[in-house]
Amino acid sequence: MTTSRETGAPRTLAEELRTRPDDALAALLSARPDLLNPVPGDLTQLATRAATRASVVRALDRLDRFTLQVAEALAVAPDPCPYPVLAGLMTGWGHIPGRSGSGGLPEDPRIAEALPRAVAALRDQALVWGGEDRLRLVRTVRELLAPSAARPSPTGLGPTVAEATAGMSPGRLQQIIAAAGLPATHDPVTAVTALTALFEDRTRMAELLATAPEEARAVLGKLLWGPPYGTVTAEPAPHLRWLLDRGLLLPTAPGSVVLPREAALHLRAGRAHRNPEPAAPALEPVTAHAEQLADATAAGQAFTALATVEELLQTWETDSPLVLRAGGLSVRDLKRTAAALDTTETAAAFWTELAHAAGLLASDGDVDERYAPTPASDDWLALPAEHRWAHLAGAWLAATRTPGLVGDKDAKGRTLAALGPDLDRSPAPEVRRRVLELLASLPAGASVSPDALLARLQWERPPRTATDDLRARLAQWTLDEAELLGVTGRGALSAHGRALLDGSEATAANLLAPLLPEPLDHVLLQADLTAVAPGPLRRPLAQMLGVLADVESKGGATVYRFTPDSVRRALDAGRTAGDVLAFLQEHSRTPVPQPLAYLVEDVARRHGRLRVGAASSYLRCDDEAVLAELLADRRSAPLRLRRLAPTVLASQAAPDALLEGLRAMGYAPAAESAEGDVLIARADIHRTPPRTAPAPVPEGPPVPDETLLGAAVRAIRAGDMAATAERKPIAAPAPADGGLPRTTSAETLATMQAAVLTGAAVWIGYVNAEGAASQRVIAPVRVEGGFVTAYDHTADEVRTYPLHRITGVAELADDHA
Amino acid sequence: MNGPLIVQSDKTLLLEVDHEQAEACRRAIASFAELERAPEHIHTYRITPLGLWNARAAGHDAEQVVDALVTHSRYPVPHALLVDIAETMARYGRLRLLKHPVHGLVLETSDRPVLEEILRSKKIQPLVGARIDPDTVAVHPSERGQIKQSLLKLGWPAEDLAGYVDGEAHPIELREDGWALRPYQRQAVDGFWHGGSGVVVLPCGAGKTLVGAGAMAEAKATTLILVTNTVSARQWKHELVKRTSLTEDEIGEYSGTRKEIRPVTIATYQVLTTKRKGIYPHLELFDSRDWGLVVYDEVHLLPAPVFKFTADLQARRRLGLTATLVREDGRESDVFSLIGPKRFDAPWKEIEAQGYIAPADCVEVRVNLTDSERLAYATAETEEKYRFCATTATKRKVTEALVRRHRGEQTLVIGQYIDQLDELGEHLGAPVIKGETSNAQREKLFDAFREGELSVLVVSKVANFSIDLPEATVAIQVSGTFGSRQEEAQRLGRVLRPKADGHEARFYSVVARDTVDQDFAAHRQRFLAEQGYAYRIVDADALLAEGLEGADEEAV
Repeated sequence: MTTSRETGAPRTLAEELRTRPDDALAALLSARPDLLNPVPGDLTQLATRAATRASVVRALDRLDRFTLQVAEALAVAPDPCPYPVLAGLMTGWGHIPGRSGSGGLPEDPRIAEALPRAVAALRDQALVWGGEDRLRLVRTVRELLAPSAARPSPTGLGPTVAEATAGMSPGRLQQIIAAAGLPATHDPVTAVTALTALFEDRTRMAELLATAPEEARAVLGKLLWGPPYGTVTAEPAPHLRWLLDRGLLLPTAPGSVVLPREAALHLRAGRAHRNPEPAAPALEPVTAHAEQLADATAAGQAFTALATVEELLQTWETDSPLVLRAGGLSVRDLKRTAAALDTTETAAAFWTELAHAAGLLASDGDVDERYAPTPASDDWLALPAEHRWAHLAGAWLAATRTPGLVGDKDAKGRTLAALGPDLDRSPAPEVRRRVLELLASLPAGASVSPDALLARLQWERPPRTATDDLRARLAQWTLDEAELLGVTGRGALSAHGRALLDGSEATAANLLAPLLPEPLDHVLLQADLTAVAPGPLRRPLAQMLGVLADVESKGGATVYRFTPDSVRRALDAGRTAGDVLAFLQEHSRTPVPQPLAYLVEDVARRHGRLRVGAASSYLRCDDEAVLAELLADRRSAPLRLRRLAPTVLASQAAPDALLEGLRAMGYAPAAESAEGDVLIARADIHRTPPRTAPAPVPEGPPVPDETLLGAAVRAIRAGDMAATAERKPIAAPAPADGGLPRTTSAETLATMQAAVLTGAAVWIGYVNAEGAASQRVIAPVRVEGGFVTAYDHTADEVRTYPLHRITGVAELADDHA
Repeated sequence: MNGPLIVQSDKTLLLEVDHEQAEACRRAIASFAELERAPEHIHTYRITPLGLWNARAAGHDAEQVVDALVTHSRYPVPHALLVDIAETMARYGRLRLLKHPVHGLVLETSDRPVLEEILRSKKIQPLVGARIDPDTVAVHPSERGQIKQSLLKLGWPAEDLAGYVDGEAHPIELREDGWALRPYQRQAVDGFWHGGSGVVVLPCGAGKTLVGAGAMAEAKATTLILVTNTVSARQWKHELVKRTSLTEDEIGEYSGTRKEIRPVTIATYQVLTTKRKGIYPHLELFDSRDWGLVVYDEVHLLPAPVFKFTADLQARRRLGLTATLVREDGRESDVFSLIGPKRFDAPWKEIEAQGYIAPADCVEVRVNLTDSERLAYATAETEEKYRFCATTATKRKVTEALVRRHRGEQTLVIGQYIDQLDELGEHLGAPVIKGETSNAQREKLFDAFREGELSVLVVSKVANFSIDLPEATVAIQVSGTFGSRQEEAQRLGRVLRPKADGHEARFYSVVARDTVDQDFAAHRQRFLAEQGYAYRIVDADALLAEGLEGADEEAV
């Protein structure tokens, strides 16, 4: 691309960008951060990069529905397009007489109101450039959005008369001209222009249509809003014949016809879209609960969330599940965890992922890898409840992991495992935040139906295809998870949820703190051998009760049941019956029921009648005196001998050490077979080595901050100055004989893109994969994704060249090609 | 937010009974939640789909249920639970069985997709006929019960509004001379009659027979009464002759010994479920008259084949009487779909508080086995263990001591093992009623006991059901059917009948310490504790030491 400074109006996007002030450039880079990586050398490079297909697709994906509709309208409009023409396409010209419903949409004043904003948005993102009188859509955008046979436009419009008649014989064209009542001409170009002018002329077109048979009008009505293609038989019915004769239907292939764009636009009263949606769908609050109720419900749920995560950590510290070889948690372990947490597998997946995202559990990295709580989880447990919640909620808000996907199949048909790979979805944090922001826009305590919320999200970021429902699913998951986590209560964003959204975890924690139930220090004991904790318990109390009794039901309260087994567990843990009863007495609001006291005493009476201990070796001798002597001998102290029975001693020393020791003392012991050796191993609490929480995997580069933007803009400006100021007419890098052309990569790209537009052939230097250099003459067809697809004149076929292998490019002298 | 109710995540509700709003809360939740346990401080209710549908059938809507929970709950109620309740309740009544003037019995829906869904079920297809319009489908009249059962299993319980046949009219009046239906009995009768068909839940000893009589007086039609056994059948007959205008001749007994079919016929489950050559020969009873009302006594014991017959009786009014909806076999849903929703329910304690059943003092007496008994027990075969420890000689001595202590009071000794009972009978000098005792002999002994001629009676498990021993004030249980809670309830019921002098009833369980007997007792007693009867434990040694002159207070 070359620049021209002769006229005021910019002729290319690069030129236009050059005229934009710095803050506008910063806005562009901020809206499309992918343009910054790496920082473009100059504005030509920036403009080129802004026009690459990948970048344009990314930018289009982020447009709201109305802005996208405006871009679509521009794509079917003439290029360049004056603003009034665009406005006409969006608003139409009001009612069409004699037609109601589909065509006769009332003019929506909101469209005219919203249009300037949409155009400005497109311009800001460098998707549209040029003045009000000549709005130009960036060519790549036009290619993506303009209707073609392969990719129908969302507008439902077909090709223009000129495009549709491209291959038509001049004779046929003559007939159409004649049938349409236009002056005959031999020149096809004039004929097409005349026909186009007819279709675009409202009065003449109306007159023409007035003469159409009723069935013909019905056919037009069917094709009106697209798809504009229809089929006809070899012998069309008279009303189809009538349309075909006048060019209102143009053949595209044998048996197939299309309604040309100009005719369709006339029938639509000039509208490009059937339903322009200038405003985002309103979020109507469905139920307005009292604000306190929503907050209290959320707080209750937040408390449950904390209890659940704590229980998860507690379960996994002794019962650490194995890591699958492919990564993640096996389905069976997930089921077991769900059973342990008394919840569904979906929810269990959520809790494990949440604890993982918060850095509370991780894989330990051992040979047989297991998941276990991290050391950080101990610190977390020591925090006050509200801070524990804030930590979890903060991790949830930023995570790109999507537990909702657990159980789905990936492209290869493998089931996605919780904590496993492929669960990161980069749009997740953005959708999550947006959903909460939308909820935050409602009055406090109000909720909105998920459908309304979804409609709003889809307006803001229309799904690319009808089947692309990831964002919708993410939004639904967000609602579910927010409820589980206690960010929302009864569907309404809580006060602490709002604070969290504002980025202040500390404020959120402070707001939540008074709403959390105060832990109790007492329970109610009942004669049916249950204890009811009518609220959350202080942790030491809960831990002791957890040992002493089995949990029967959870929720706001906890119901514990005492059984002989559970009491035995407490005795095993070193408590005596007296301890247990004193503990119960102390923490019960009511007297300890007699059956419970009996149960404890009964179990205690039987407890410990059989004794089990660990010894490494034993020593037996039929002569009691020898054993007595041995025990009395001071040298036997290191062997740690203990008399179990008159003729049996146990030793903590290993058999060989015991033998050694006895021999040293002058005895002649004999070893016995190792049978009967008792070794007892206790399960250790499991911890991973220190682990950091997984970082979110955002999509694309992060939005640059002010400093970076400023620096980038300055760098681009400087580069551009360098590129444009140096206008010394250095001869184009005319290649010396045999030498390869050399250009900078930006220049190569720009020249290639220019060649695509002009269809010109260029001369390139190319180094193939083996390092062999060659020179080729090619006619580029497409430049995208780092590749040039081109017709290679040297090889006489279409080939694809990686841009980075092209050493340079030069335009050909005119006489070539 | 300081209510008496705590909502648990497993859909149980904990009600703190000492709370000032406890009573209001109990009334609010009783319509939809089943009382599961009622120990002294915290009562446990459970929300089940059946309970919610019972509430719907009684005219409550989800709004009321949610409101009751939210108003009384101490902590915020999880939103998911409320949504679930609303959804479950909305399932009832989407399908209705109606009588169509032209097509006869039809299934109609207010929600077309539901009809489409259930019509695609293989279980439903054979039960329905032609589609009459998009919302209505014909149902074979003979499948009325079957389709209700199947729909409930699919989670879309149908509301049966198809009405009932009147049956053959027969005049029946209550003869309220010197007595009257108690208020709760009246409410139960009215609740049943307005509901059409259904189940009345009343504790043992609360006068279920009179509710049956009241229902018959409303129906004024021939009635078939199904009871558990012959003794119970005689009790019913006796009671009906005494309380209603019916005479002996109008009431027939259909049992193993007699096969009478009269305007009011009382049949036993036993005879109905007798099978000969693969068929039920006594089924014709159901068709032998044009019954206007069918009464099922002790619905929780209804044998499975009777459900099958009941499925064919859907056009007749059905009244179920029971002390509990809980069935050990888990067929509560069949009771719901075939007999009907719960129409009335009054908890045990409440009726006791009104003075209609006697308060009871439950005592577990722990017996220490002698060393030789312990050794014998330890080495007994596993299947013999319970029998051994339940019938030890030490137990017998303790039982005798208890009987002596309550000399002069009407005492029942209840046991499982015949030889143990024979031995006890011999030592106590009391007659023994067991399976082989003839019905005539049984009635004679019962009468003598009732008249006070006999003060001690030893009974085997034959006396578990439906016999009426109004003056028993002490029951001593020496052995039982392992850990059956059902049996425990029945036995406690024996002493709960109102006493003439308002004397407190005693219920003793004699249990061998440190044996399976104790484990079974614990399981049985859990039921008592859950019903609000806290039991206390007494050491047999202490009891024996105090000897004969011990006052009643010694165990307190």
